[in-house]
Amino acid sequence: MELQINGRLVQADADPGMPLLWLLRDVLNMTGTKFGCGVAACGACTVRIDGQAARSCAVPVSAVLGKRIQTIEALGTPDKPHALQLAWIAEQVPQCGYCQSGMLMAAAALLEANPRPTDADIDAAMTNICRCGTYQRIRVAIKRAAGMAPGAGAKKAKA
Amino acid sequence: MKRRAWLFSAAGAAGGLLVGWGLLPARSRLGSAAHPWTAGAVADLTGVVFNGWIKIRADGGVVLAMPRSEMGQGVHTALAMLVAEELDVPLARVSLEQAGADAIYGNVAMLVGSLPFHPLEVDDYAAEGAPRVRPTKVRLGEWMVGKLARELGINATGASSSVADAWEVLRTAAATARASLLGAASLDWKLPVDELSVSKGVISHPSGPSAHYGELAKFAAATPPGEVMLKSRRDWSLIGRQAPRPDLPAKVNGTAVFGLDVRRPGMLYAAVRLSPMLGGSAGAIHTEVALAAPGVERLVRLPAYAGSTAGFAVVGKTWWQAQQAALAVPVDWQQRPAGGLDSGAIGKALQAALDHEAGSTFYEKGDVDKAEAAASRKVEALYSAPYLAHATLEPMNCTAQLKDGKVWLWAPTQVPQMAVAVAARVARVAPEDVHITVTLLGGGFGRRLEVDCVAQAVRVALECGGRPVQLIWSREEDTTHDFYRPMQRARLSASLDAAGKVGSLRIRSAGDAITPRWLERNLPALAAPVETPDKSAAEGLFDLPYGFASQKMSHVATRSGVPVGYWRSVGHSHNAFFSESFMDELALDAKQDPLAFRRSLLEEAPRHLAVLDLAAAKAGWGTALPAGRARGLALHESFGTIVAQVVEVSLQGGAPRVHRVVCAVDCGTVIHPGIVAQQMEGSVVFALSAALYGRIDIEDGVVRQKNFPQYAMLGLAQAPVVETYLVPSERVPSGAGEPGVPPLAPALANALFSLTGKRLRSLPLSLNEA
Repeated sequence: MELQINGRLVQADADPGMPLLWLLRDVLNMTGTKFGCGVAACGACTVRIDGQAARSCAVPVSAVLGKRIQTIEALGTPDKPHALQLAWIAEQVPQCGYCQSGMLMAAAALLEANPRPTDADIDAAMTNICRCGTYQRIRVAIKRAAGMAPGAGAKKAKA
Repeated sequence: MKRRAWLFSAAGAAGGLLVGWGLLPARSRLGSAAHPWTAGAVADLTGVVFNGWIKIRADGGVVLAMPRSEMGQGVHTALAMLVAEELDVPLARVSLEQAGADAIYGNVAMLVGSLPFHPLEVDDYAAEGAPRVRPTKVRLGEWMVGKLARELGINATGASSSVADAWEVLRTAAATARASLLGAASLDWKLPVDELSVSKGVISHPSGPSAHYGELAKFAAATPPGEVMLKSRRDWSLIGRQAPRPDLPAKVNGTAVFGLDVRRPGMLYAAVRLSPMLGGSAGAIHTEVALAAPGVERLVRLPAYAGSTAGFAVVGKTWWQAQQAALAVPVDWQQRPAGGLDSGAIGKALQAALDHEAGSTFYEKGDVDKAEAAASRKVEALYSAPYLAHATLEPMNCTAQLKDGKVWLWAPTQVPQMAVAVAARVARVAPEDVHITVTLLGGGFGRRLEVDCVAQAVRVALECGGRPVQLIWSREEDTTHDFYRPMQRARLSASLDAAGKVGSLRIRSAGDAITPRWLERNLPALAAPVETPDKSAAEGLFDLPYGFASQKMSHVATRSGVPVGYWRSVGHSHNAFFSESFMDELALDAKQDPLAFRRSLLEEAPRHLAVLDLAAAKAGWGTALPAGRARGLALHESFGTIVAQVVEVSLQGGAPRVHRVVCAVDCGTVIHPGIVAQQMEGSVVFALSAALYGRIDIEDGVVRQKNFPQYAMLGLAQAPVVETYLVPSERVPSGAGEPGVPPLAPALANALFSLTGKRLRSLPLSLNEA
């Protein structure tokens, strides 16, 4: 089958029922996307499908044929990191780092849809689990990437 | 020369140096530092070796031999900072290579820290700079364990000990290399050494000569260092300052390699299914069902080993295929012969143990019996804590290959030597024939102090004809086959005189012993032949800083059969909940403010008092809060670090919502304040997940919670704002990875009492059950 991953057409031989996560990791050896729970509960496997954040452990390969898949490997480049990646470094977000690929992909989908998110928007979009507890830095880093002050967007209702 | 060789080359010299370590403990762990010139300066392909820790590359870069595991706590940054500071190079110029198996890399501080001494006995509360008065038993105990630790050289990352352990050793190793480099420049240029200066790894003289470390390294390795002086604090340019963590760029672009990310040519994947009944076994396994599934190569039985329950692994071309096949296999699971474990029954047994057994006494002061006999009344409370799973986000995994009589391991582990040892036992090879690569750890929290899945990976690799195999547990296996934090119960009882003053505090707790079980499965040579008291279960209850005239603390060590292990902050994690909640109960009884009540009992513990006062001041203790909000505080020392937390809580939909947590910390000299703050933030979230949701229930031997929906975690939307404030200190550093965990649960329980009038004495905190 043919998949569109990170702007390239990729040929892969896999069971159509295989979740996208395992096609990426075990067939294509793209290991930036992580396995955490297998039931779409933790978000470590978050990628973007046609721009939307999706938990790839629960999306069969058959459901993504013809769709644009983006993984952490293509969020930025070494020469031109994504604004979120720069903000993640500036705020020193990661600890163990295992959840951060998924966090970044979820945040990228959020900012594309909503370039100036409120705290409530961030709460609603960022439902991935971080066992190291980097949440408050993630919130500030998203705002930094959006060009907002750390305390901005504190109102519950959207402006 | 291969990478491992330069590290092993340190072994011989280190062996000869063991004599005299008592006088020069840091130097005894430098490896070949003392004799690099007599042993022949070791120039491998990538640089010149100065000692067992430091190598200088031709381009002047510094290579640090790194024995500790990075699991998010920032140890790779903090230890590199010590070296960069003493060598006067930018942090970015220090790169890491995994240390070998030599005893010099053992974690001495961790073992010495495991001694069951009360902080008053080790005179930990003495004013900074004052001579510490330590009784003979303390000095003897520390000497003996220190000696044992140096001989054993157990390389483990745990007990918040890495920085404390490295503090003297690494700075000395780096300063020794620097002294040799300066000496070489002095000899080469025929200029006095005290006229030379170092900046960013370049040595220069005002008259003109200048060279970077790489240009001098070969000559310097053969140059005696002369007198080695550590930098004085006022000359530090890195220690105590913020520095970007060098491990983060790879963690934001997907290139960081965790255990699950290891990829080897021809690698297979193994999925694991263990008996759902803890301690159970597998009867008939319908192997043919697995083998008929697409992509599956074989099924391998896994015996109970290294503490694990028995089961099997299915090997396939991808993990998903192997996992699907493993789940499809009909298995005749057998209950353990002693019958199914049941957490409810274990709780009742703990209560009986608490009621009827004396246990081991860890601390006794004054005369509690006499004080109780003379008391006018008592305040008594019963507390409990459940089993907990670690739930590292990276599930248990290990990659193994057996080839040409050797074992190759790639493992996210906190104990590489034990991984090597268990691999050698399973594969029946010598430990020297096991090579391990320690990857990054996607969380550790104590779960990766176990090597159960290393043994499984090797057992599967034995059947894979030389091909590498990556064995991965599903989240369900990870949650249901953990080494759980043990269930604990405690009775705390204070006697009061007619004026209401507390005369004595008696604490007895009961729960499974952790360390004896861990030793049995991981270091059987050190396991005691009889049941021993377990300090790791009693810590945080026997070592309280409060000056009650009479105190007695005992722990009844039980053995339920449930696999138990070290869970971030270990005994402190529940014992601080017991003790600091009870302190608020006593304050209430005395009609005193919780802060004032604690302050009145901290006369002997000025460091604790300073931490408590800092937290209270920053949190605005005593000032008004919006309606529907309340504060609670707690103070606790663990692993030599004192943390006070003030929690602000409200109720949303009847459930606690924590808004803000103020942390004050005394961890001695701070290496990297940003990492300490990260650890406080992380500890609060980790502890809050446990305090609000954490419980593992076992019925008929089966763990009921399987995955994250049932074993719930705090999310971003519920995460409080965490503020961290550091008490300035020039003491030897202590750890930061765990001490932020213990105070959170009691501070929250105390805040909930203030808000609702309900005293919650069991974890997780539930207002409905109160």
